[in-house]
Amino acid sequence: MTATTRPVRTTTPAQWLRKNLFRTPLDSVLTLILAPLSLYALYLAARFVFVTGRWEIVEVNLKLLMVGNWPIDHMARISVTLVAFGFLGGIVAGLVHARQVRRGTASVLNMSRRERILDLARRFGLILFTVLLLLALTSTWGPTITAVGVVVAGVAGRVVGGILGRLHLPKPVAIVLVLLMLSTPFLLYFYLVDAVPLARWEGFWFNLSSAAAGIILCFPLGVLIAIGRRSKLPLIRGMSTIYVELVRGVPFFVLLLMAHVALEFFVPASIAPSRPVRAIVVFTIFTAAYLAEIVRGGLQSVPRGQEEAARAVGLSPFSVMSRIVLPQALRNVIPAQIGQFISLFKDTVLAGLAMSIFDMAQVASAITQQSAFRGQGLIVETLTFTAFLFWVGAYTMSRESQRLERKLGVGTR
Amino acid sequence: MTETRNQVFADATAVDDPVIELESVDKFFGDFQALKEINLRVGRQEVVVVIGPSGSGKSTMIRCINRLEEHDAGRIVVNGVELSEDIKAIQEIRRETGMVFQQFNLFPHLSVIDNITLAPRLVRGLPKAQAEQEAMELLERVRIPEQARKYPGQLSGGQQQRVAIARALAMRPEVMLFDEPTSALDPEMIGEVLDVMKDLARGGMTMIVVTHEMNFAREVADRVVFMAQGQIVEVGTPEHFFTNPQEDRTKLFLSQIL
Ligand SMILES: Nc1ncnc2c1ncn2[C@@H]1O[C@H](COP(=O)(O)OP(=O)(O)OP(=O)(O)O)[C@@H](O)[C@H]1O
Ligand SMILES: [Mg+2]
Repeated sequence: MTATTRPVRTTTPAQWLRKNLFRTPLDSVLTLILAPLSLYALYLAARFVFVTGRWEIVEVNLKLLMVGNWPIDHMARISVTLVAFGFLGGIVAGLVHARQVRRGTASVLNMSRRERILDLARRFGLILFTVLLLLALTSTWGPTITAVGVVVAGVAGRVVGGILGRLHLPKPVAIVLVLLMLSTPFLLYFYLVDAVPLARWEGFWFNLSSAAAGIILCFPLGVLIAIGRRSKLPLIRGMSTIYVELVRGVPFFVLLLMAHVALEFFVPASIAPSRPVRAIVVFTIFTAAYLAEIVRGGLQSVPRGQEEAARAVGLSPFSVMSRIVLPQALRNVIPAQIGQFISLFKDTVLAGLAMSIFDMAQVASAITQQSAFRGQGLIVETLTFTAFLFWVGAYTMSRESQRLERKLGVGTR
Repeated sequence: MTETRNQVFADATAVDDPVIELESVDKFFGDFQALKEINLRVGRQEVVVVIGPSGSGKSTMIRCINRLEEHDAGRIVVNGVELSEDIKAIQEIRRETGMVFQQFNLFPHLSVIDNITLAPRLVRGLPKAQAEQEAMELLERVRIPEQARKYPGQLSGGQQQRVAIARALAMRPEVMLFDEPTSALDPEMIGEVLDVMKDLARGGMTMIVVTHEMNFAREVADRVVFMAQGQIVEVGTPEHFFTNPQEDRTKLFLSQIL
């Protein structure tokens, strides 16, 4: 068999313009109106970023924006945590890759070297750019060393994970490894709060870590409630429904305020949990309700025949759910789930406002009151910077979710 | 043998060593009675083909046997175990009955081999290696060993249905229930699935097959059961049905499909 190559189509710039911008009269009119407008907007943005923007305020307060008043002496703990997560992420990526190679579903196998590099650049380019930008604004070596450490740990983890995935480990060893990996975040948490209690986690660090905690905690709760709504037992079904309807009916901000203010009416201040803990609890409760609805939709999208076939081969009700229905349900609603997590990530700034937590947005507004910067309208700069960091995080999550979706083959079954 | 080939049975329960017994089984969907006084026994290694017009309760009947539907009255006994509320009894009966669906219902997120080994590993507690070895033998039997690592979405309808048969066989069931296994298939794939079923029948598997494939019935059925409006109307050998049906409703139905 001879391989036929697709005929290479060459387009001249004129053809491209015609096809993409001036295909019909309406297209032409729209182009003529919108092109100058967007060019002007671009010009304004570029001028702000490169010419008129006064970024010293961000430069001077970078540490405050990122980690608030985290003691300098304990910054190393954050570095260690980030490096450890880099390593962990690398291992997971390596394991996933090895598994896909084993099953012959790894997409990178069909990629040329150039395509692989492009793929990596597309995935990590924005993050890399952001990190370099932040490093350029720092004056100490700590952050740079940390960043290099994270990259090295990530690559090392990827290699180790790839090797582990190829070995046929005996089951007990594999279980121990998985438990070790699962317990790492908790160990790191204790390592961190040992030096700096949760109540003093501030800046972007608060937004990031409380969002992560909320996401991890709300996931099992949301899934359980979604399953509860399909229960045969009226009590469980009723409670799940009431939970969802109650929580969804209350504004998020009001829930946060209640956790901040009203809790003290019911619980003595001495035993009431600290504000970040309350914030995380509210994140969890709130997002779980929305997640439950999303997952419920996913459960409904799995054809009845799947459950019947699973029951017919003798699987227990638990296995039917955990092995057959739930995996397909969760897979079918990945975009909606990630969308909810992105919302939570962004909404963490509301906790800052409602509960007087010194989160990144609060820092961004507080630093404009410093004597060197007061009264100069620099809030535009600090908020732009804040928005940019959140956008990078949210956009990365969104991209990775699309990738995950493609990998798991949603819609191509 | 020849004189018995053309036999009509007064009722559907005259069987010596029954693996499946249905006694006066009723089933309601709300006010609608889908099964009325069903009496049927299926003997060991017997192949019973169930025919009847759409909505006559064929699917409902075989789905009651493995408790995908709950019957409202009467008794169902499979391999000596009576079907009841008792979850243990239900699980035991499901282990003894394999089911093949019109829409295949393979698990799309699992590879072919995982589709087949899932239940043996979880329910029969087989170690992975042994389960996979057994699965490969079954795939040989349904003639698609080379598809083991693929996913259901990558297979043709006929191949998917054969995987579904292998999946059901992997639990080493005493009985196989088929609900219109070829109705969703393109004509050119029907043969390959029927061939596998014929092999099974020759191998001594006890089978209840709901189908419109009259040639299959003629070739392998020991008995044919005709259902209409939730009742068993007529039972006989294939010969009897195709040469000398008794009931008017049977004649009408056969004249429509033959
Ligand atoms: N879950 C259900 N709820 C309500 N009615 C049902 C349900 N399942 C089946 N029925 C009704 O019960 C009757 C028998 O259905 P069944 O599916 O057993 O028929 P069938 O003989 O298998 O028909 P077909 O050849 O179309 O598959 C039909 O009238 C159908 O509408
Ligand atoms: Mg049917």
